[in-house]
Amino acid sequence: MTTSVAASCYVFGVVPAGARLPEVDETAVAEGLRLVEAEGLAAVVGTPPADRAVGRAVDLLAHDRVLAALVAAGTPVLPMRFGAVLRDEAAVIDDLLTARAGTLRADLDRVTGRVQFTLTVRYEQDVVLRELLASRPDIARLRGSGATHSLDGRLRLGELVVQAIDRMRPTDAQAVMDDLRDAVDIRRNKTTSPEEVLSAAVLVDEGDADAFEQNMVDVARRHHPRLRIRLVGPSAPYDFVGTG
Amino acid sequence: MTSAVDKRDSGYLDRPRSSSLADVVELILDKGLVIDAYVRISLVGIELVTIDARIVIASVDTYLRFAEATNRLDLYEHGGKDLGEMTESLAKGGASGKTSGVIDGAKDKVGELLHGSDDDDDDDDDDESSSRRSRSGNGRSSGNGRPRSRAR
Repeated sequence: MTTSVAASCYVFGVVPAGARLPEVDETAVAEGLRLVEAEGLAAVVGTPPADRAVGRAVDLLAHDRVLAALVAAGTPVLPMRFGAVLRDEAAVIDDLLTARAGTLRADLDRVTGRVQFTLTVRYEQDVVLRELLASRPDIARLRGSGATHSLDGRLRLGELVVQAIDRMRPTDAQAVMDDLRDAVDIRRNKTTSPEEVLSAAVLVDEGDADAFEQNMVDVARRHHPRLRIRLVGPSAPYDFVGTG
Repeated sequence: MTSAVDKRDSGYLDRPRSSSLADVVELILDKGLVIDAYVRISLVGIELVTIDARIVIASVDTYLRFAEATNRLDLYEHGGKDLGEMTESLAKGGASGKTSGVIDGAKDKVGELLHGSDDDDDDDDDDESSSRRSRSGNGRSSGNGRPRSRAR
């Protein structure tokens, strides 16, 4: 595909037509922030750099910064996946806004007045390991034995520990899920390491955001020191778009 | 990300004031509206990065890391140890320290990957092992405006 880069559009997200553009100082990934409108919808676009490909850390951060600024201004926004570049404004109008007007409008309605929080729950390693050693004599014995001087022995110990943690995780994840309040919708993401208990995105009404956060403080206190909870947001509803 | 909340420093909830690169990676990669491949241009190896973010850490490394953590526990469980045990634990800790630096989290790797093609920004992650560096070399070559094939 050979196209003029100058005409191409990096798309940050979709907002209602007539929305106010955010004031963002530096947008690495694309400059000349503007709206391309059709069907009562608008795409927030910029011109991607002509001399390099996007994909650097600053590009990711810039993508998030533009969307965060929209959220901070109270503008409902459907974030595009990072790296979405269309041929030109006509393509934005035809292939994005017009072709998908129905679902875009429905998605926008669903996120209007709402923000996303993202929480990551992890085991406090030492606390959980002590717990395991107390409840699993076989693991405690193996650890104390000379067997762990060999690679095989260490692998066996590690495997037993990881399997034991795998068995604890569903209960602990559910306990945190049960503690969540003020959630309109929740999406659970895959966990990526044994000490990760739960990774979830929560859609919250803006009016409930403070209550949601306060509750999370309480939840974190309740599960201290076994679990460590990290809360990021409010952010654009990254996990609640394009899913029907 | 600003929010008028004063109770974020409760000491219990980990509540970053601004999103780190790792937070942003976690938040935005693999998420958001997707444009059909036939209308989209220049995807720049993003898919490759995504895969690294979701890498399932090799179980052998994971087992060794947990074995090490479990073995290390007794260092502070009982106070007085004899010198032999002490040096033994320390030796093991030293050996696996190298490994755990590498596998400490897939998200770090993504940070490295992303930084492979870029230096002028604000990352705060300075504990880089040589093996992580060589990984980031893999992600750098992306170019050509073509999505990478999804290698497993």
